[in-house]
Amino acid sequence: MKRYIAKRIVYLVLTLFIITTATFFLMKNLPGTPFDEEKLALLTQDQRDQIYASYGLDKPVIVQYVNYIGNIVQGDLGTSIYYTGQDVKDIIVDRIYPSALVGLQAILLGTVIGLILGVLAAYRHNSGWDYAAMIVSVLGVSIPNFVLAALLQYYIGLKWGILPVAFWESYDSSVLPSVALSFGVIAIIARFVRTEMLEVLQQDYIVTAKAKGLGQMAILSRHAVRNSLIPVITILGPIVVNLLTGSLVIENIFGIPGIGSLFVDSIKTNDYATIMGVTIFYSAFYVVVMLLVDILYSLVDPRIRLGSGRE
Amino acid sequence: MKKKGSLSLLALMLVFSVVLAACGNNNENASGSSSPSASAGASGSAAPSGKPINLYVENEIKNLSQWAASDDISFTVLNNVSEGLYRLDADNNPQPALAQDVAISDDKLTYTFTLRDGIQWSNGTPITAADFKYAWLGEMNPTTATNGYSFILTDYIVGGAEYAAGTGTADQVAIEAKDDKTLVVTLKQPTPFFLRLTSLVPYFPLNEAFVTSQGDQYGLAADKLIYAGPYVLESFDIAAGAVLKKNPTYWDNSNVKTDTINLKVIKEQSTALNAYKAGQIDRVTLASSDVDANKSNPEFGTGIKFRTTYLQFNTKAEGLSNVNIRKALSLAFDSNILAATILNNGSSGASGLIPDLMSGDGTKTFRELNGKVIEANIEKAKELWAQGVQELGSAPKLTLLIADTSEVKDVATFLQSEFKNNLGIDVAIDTKTSKARNELMDNNNYQMAVTAWGADYDDAMTYMDLWTNHTPYRGNYESSEYDALIANAKKETDDAKRADMLLQAEKQLVDTDAVVAPIYFGGYSFLQKSNVTGLIYHPYGNPVEFKSAVAQ
Repeated sequence: MKRYIAKRIVYLVLTLFIITTATFFLMKNLPGTPFDEEKLALLTQDQRDQIYASYGLDKPVIVQYVNYIGNIVQGDLGTSIYYTGQDVKDIIVDRIYPSALVGLQAILLGTVIGLILGVLAAYRHNSGWDYAAMIVSVLGVSIPNFVLAALLQYYIGLKWGILPVAFWESYDSSVLPSVALSFGVIAIIARFVRTEMLEVLQQDYIVTAKAKGLGQMAILSRHAVRNSLIPVITILGPIVVNLLTGSLVIENIFGIPGIGSLFVDSIKTNDYATIMGVTIFYSAFYVVVMLLVDILYSLVDPRIRLGSGRE
Repeated sequence: MKKKGSLSLLALMLVFSVVLAACGNNNENASGSSSPSASAGASGSAAPSGKPINLYVENEIKNLSQWAASDDISFTVLNNVSEGLYRLDADNNPQPALAQDVAISDDKLTYTFTLRDGIQWSNGTPITAADFKYAWLGEMNPTTATNGYSFILTDYIVGGAEYAAGTGTADQVAIEAKDDKTLVVTLKQPTPFFLRLTSLVPYFPLNEAFVTSQGDQYGLAADKLIYAGPYVLESFDIAAGAVLKKNPTYWDNSNVKTDTINLKVIKEQSTALNAYKAGQIDRVTLASSDVDANKSNPEFGTGIKFRTTYLQFNTKAEGLSNVNIRKALSLAFDSNILAATILNNGSSGASGLIPDLMSGDGTKTFRELNGKVIEANIEKAKELWAQGVQELGSAPKLTLLIADTSEVKDVATFLQSEFKNNLGIDVAIDTKTSKARNELMDNNNYQMAVTAWGADYDDAMTYMDLWTNHTPYRGNYESSEYDALIANAKKETDDAKRADMLLQAEKQLVDTDAVVAPIYFGGYSFLQKSNVTGLIYHPYGNPVEFKSAVAQ
């Protein structure tokens, strides 16, 4: 197990290095500069060169790359050009909290409701409950979350005045965006749990448990649900990464100062250091979560032994 | 059953909210500036005057370092937490601000400013003439200023251009801090709008001791700035917004009636409108699609911006090197229809390059003096097109380059259909990100492009000067007559004669040589709560004054 994790961490670093390198060179091919070109056009070439030089952009791309990697190894993500002088690390730290809070709430809400719906649908297979749960699930997958967001904002925020329409002012501000984001999670989780539960309920050990005289609730909670969780954990990995790193659309609709919009804006404005910083952050987060998911498997299902088989 | 479902949902949310509110609080302290600040608490301080005013900006507050800021949003904040020698009033005329008055020499070249008595920075340091000199020299120097705004000083001040280019020294720049209260500036040429220029952000003072003590941290947070304006920043976050508080050390603070101004960042126009309707903000700019529904609202209003959107022809590009082709395209669309039906936001069809209301000779506006230099004329357009095609030998294939913003896309589609209907030609539209569009233009890789220019100051020169640099971005336009007109206008001391030269220059650029085809003058529609008064919006330069704003 330890050897397995060590090996995975080596791969992880390698993956990050490749992503960083690829992104760096792709990014340098973006058209334009990180500056206000219309204003820059009014300067002489010498003046422009001096501005480029002050950000180290006058050097050949390969030199810039080596410098950049050197800085990253020392934990320095550089400073933003668009947000002049702001440390990229600080920007990411500032912006991750709103996105992560909203994302985390959406995941908790979505997982709990999705689980309940899924279990209910499987347990009362082909009943009204089943159909209702699956209708919710189909709607959740097919309605884009920005439509829901707009509806929630209009009715709950504006018409009924229950929660704030927008902004990041108090805890209340995070509720509507979380609910809007959670629908997709509900839908996915409910479907997965239902399918898996239906299969698990057919298994011999369930029959055995019934024969032993275990009660319905005990069978469900002790055997059926636990065994249905494996695919949920698999799917939860990418969902966690997706939601915790922010959604551009939801953040814009609710005026949340999150990281999703930062990433898109940084690309639009050629803010090199920010593009790199956010990319590295995203990919690091992703590979770490994937590793955790694999470790979680072995905890949920002791039959899965990490690293014991052929690699 | 539906109700039951939503109830249990609410219950669940409640449970989560208790759990998460707890971690929320911890994080709030840790993450500092991005923490949500309780807006209700703001009014808690003993407030003898107006209620807090809640406003928004449409994009992030990029940076508040004066030498780096170049966008309207940074200027919105900086203009209200700092101040120049002059400040524009409600009629966009310059009024003494940090300066008490000015003496202008007879040749209109030397300005001697006298600063007010007792003016000080928010940290108690006196504001002196040296602070202006330091800020202005820093803006000219490309190693300290990165906003590309140095031209707005170096174009006027003797020695500035040489210093900026590295061929002159700081000593040779004609800015002299004679004593703490006296600032003497010598200009290269008479500049009737120089006092207006001193109201712009690049002309604001900076305290050398403070700026150097902060090093590269200067301007990155509310406590890494000191303030000279009607307000100070209590907090500021790039993406969440800023909280402005009345500045107790401001010289005119008895006329500042509002204690708190909350400035939020909202990027979605529909979100802003919802927030306005819910009472979370006091003013909202309307999207075109929302204008008709709100026109009868007593809170509705319109304003104009000195921003002209125009078609830039590349005079060296295939087909468009022919002046008749360019003229035909200029006359073949009716921009009044565009403004009234498609834009529908307060914009108006362009009758020239210089927007309505921009100053002319001091008594009349530029537009009043020059009349219409462009007006749709389909018959003439057809004639000119036929003539151009004959001269070229065949009809040119045309592509219109645009940036991918929704407004410009609408404009391009309109132009495309007008060219089709009126000239019978198919024009392709090439949509790029604005960065990519700029690069194509800079590389001389375009035929014609939709672009816009917002005035930096209230004078036609802010537009006319652009086409003297002969770059591909400006259509490779090279005319010795035009250059001479601009150069002479810059030297002219007589306002009427000077205006006359600029009038001629506009006619030549738009009509005779058809280098650009003006499309529309920028405008906007808004809703503003009826209890809010005294917000002054300018059509150019600093976007807005909070100084006199009051919410009853």
